[in-house]
Amino acid sequence: MANNTKNNVLLKLSNVEKVYRMDGISIKALDGISLMIKAGEFVAITGASGSGKSTLMHIIGCLDTPTNGEVFLDGQKVSDFSERQLAVVRNQKIGFVFQQFNLLARTSALENVALPLIYSDLLESKIEEKAKEALNRVGLSDRLHHHPNQLSGGQQQKVAIARALVTNPSLILADEPTGNLDSKSGQEILKVFQQLNQQGNTIIFVTHNQQVAANAQRIIKIKDGKIEEK
Amino acid sequence: MKYIPLLKVSLKALRSNKSRALLTMLGVIIGVAAVILLVSIGNGLKTFITKQLEDLGSNLVVVLPGEIDVKNFSFSAGSQAALAGLATSKLKIIDAENIKRDVPLLEETVAITLSNSVVRFGNESKISQVIGTTDNYTKVRNSPLREGEFFTQKDVDSARRIAVLGATVAKDLFGDKSPLGEKIFIGDFPYEVIGVLEEKGAMGFINVDEQTIIPVTTAQRQLNLDNVNMIYGQVASPDEVSAAIKEVDQVLSTRLEKDDYTVVDQKEVLSAISSILSVITISLGGTAAISLLVGGIGIMNIMLVSVTERTREIGLRKALGATPETILAQFLIEAVILSIGGGLIGIVFGVTGSLLLNLIFPMTLIWWSVILAFFVSVAVGLLFGTMPAMRAAKLDPIDALRYE
Repeated sequence: MANNTKNNVLLKLSNVEKVYRMDGISIKALDGISLMIKAGEFVAITGASGSGKSTLMHIIGCLDTPTNGEVFLDGQKVSDFSERQLAVVRNQKIGFVFQQFNLLARTSALENVALPLIYSDLLESKIEEKAKEALNRVGLSDRLHHHPNQLSGGQQQKVAIARALVTNPSLILADEPTGNLDSKSGQEILKVFQQLNQQGNTIIFVTHNQQVAANAQRIIKIKDGKIEEK
Repeated sequence: MKYIPLLKVSLKALRSNKSRALLTMLGVIIGVAAVILLVSIGNGLKTFITKQLEDLGSNLVVVLPGEIDVKNFSFSAGSQAALAGLATSKLKIIDAENIKRDVPLLEETVAITLSNSVVRFGNESKISQVIGTTDNYTKVRNSPLREGEFFTQKDVDSARRIAVLGATVAKDLFGDKSPLGEKIFIGDFPYEVIGVLEEKGAMGFINVDEQTIIPVTTAQRQLNLDNVNMIYGQVASPDEVSAAIKEVDQVLSTRLEKDDYTVVDQKEVLSAISSILSVITISLGGTAAISLLVGGIGIMNIMLVSVTERTREIGLRKALGATPETILAQFLIEAVILSIGGGLIGIVFGVTGSLLLNLIFPMTLIWWSVILAFFVSVAVGLLFGTMPAMRAAKLDPIDALRYE
């Protein structure tokens, strides 16, 4: 699974600050966050809306860089990376799962799962095989050619999880993965994440839902851009 | 970067909105077809007029009254008057004889008077250009006879009232009947028809079929003038034309003032006309190229719409690892597919159009215009696709994913 041995430090943030400037006013979204996540962990990041947890998720997901502080992912100092380098890191090391699923419409499950691979170094002839393998892992091998509108919400999110898995990333980053699902489908999705974690995948949930967060081994609470001490 | 998957993505995006893609291509289709058609028309016209001028008679030195600058198409007041009416021309038959005698390069010289008269036979009448000339006219002007014969040196010397009719004049006055030996009236004087010219069709500015030809001496006597409108001199080969012009000029200058006459050759007229027609061809092509530009703006417009519509998709692709260059390439490929598609369809329309229209109008398909139109359409796609593609490439993945 993930190419990290358990208990190695996978992600390290030290004194991360993020300042947004709007109309001349500076807003500190993150105010000196330091944290460490080891390979194989299952962590939930929680906080109310406006707490800064989304900003933190963007920085962990290499979608954004901090104003101050350092971010290390898999030993690389990604806080110094260019846009182009960050795209490569996102492609190789991170698997995203979104609240809105974000599947391409009028596109089969297989093609949706294959999407990250067309931006990778993988040989084109191997893409389909890999995508099938990932769909198999989430139990959707019989839905390869279904379009998103032919799948239930839970199935769509499973396709999205398969898409996150397909590049064999170091880290799976899920943003409110059950937010758009009924409770039964939500439970099913959480079970998939539990299984993936048991298989060795490092998982980070970002959620405001305490029950969802309870599935994780560790909970990091964010308030006003800072980690709230337990 | 994997180009085949990118190409597939672009094709899929275009296929999902076929009518929009086709309408976007329409601008380029019309532009490319118009460039090809208009350049064909311009070149067809050039070939046609050049050929007509060559048909008028080869290796000619022409002496016109007054001062004319053929290259700049400027005519002195005297030359305009001289072309308008015989009375102001200072050229005389003697000049034709002088240059024939003193310029050995000239094989023939022909003096010509021009006037318009009513030509009448019985109840039929028409206005015809009456040409007074000498017996060697048909040789120099390359106009063979269909029937009868041309007048002789003796006829010219004795100023006989005889006429050779152009094909249309003969048909209008006599119908299918042979006019040979019949009496016609040119103005108030009776003439005997001795020959009919072969039909040649309109040639540039002169329609030989509409002419009536009589001996130059007869024409002068009737008009009570002793001058002529122009003198044609024929040389053996085109290479001798410029040498002949110099000598003719020298001979004429002994009797005439410098602004009384101009010696021109067909080549000079040809090159002047062909340069005008080249300018026309280029400006026609240029006008059509503007529509190609408009087509490009159409592509840019629809690509901008497409980028906005697919903002979330672009955000997702970026989150999943697409670099800005990959996104740029994807949208550029899409724009270029539109413009190349439009260009190819436009070429099909332009080429078949000019081949079909050639049946009713002289069109010369120029292959470089096809190749040029194609490459310009590719360039248009790249040029106008760049701005929307850059916009897509620069989108921030976080904002793009939130876009509703």
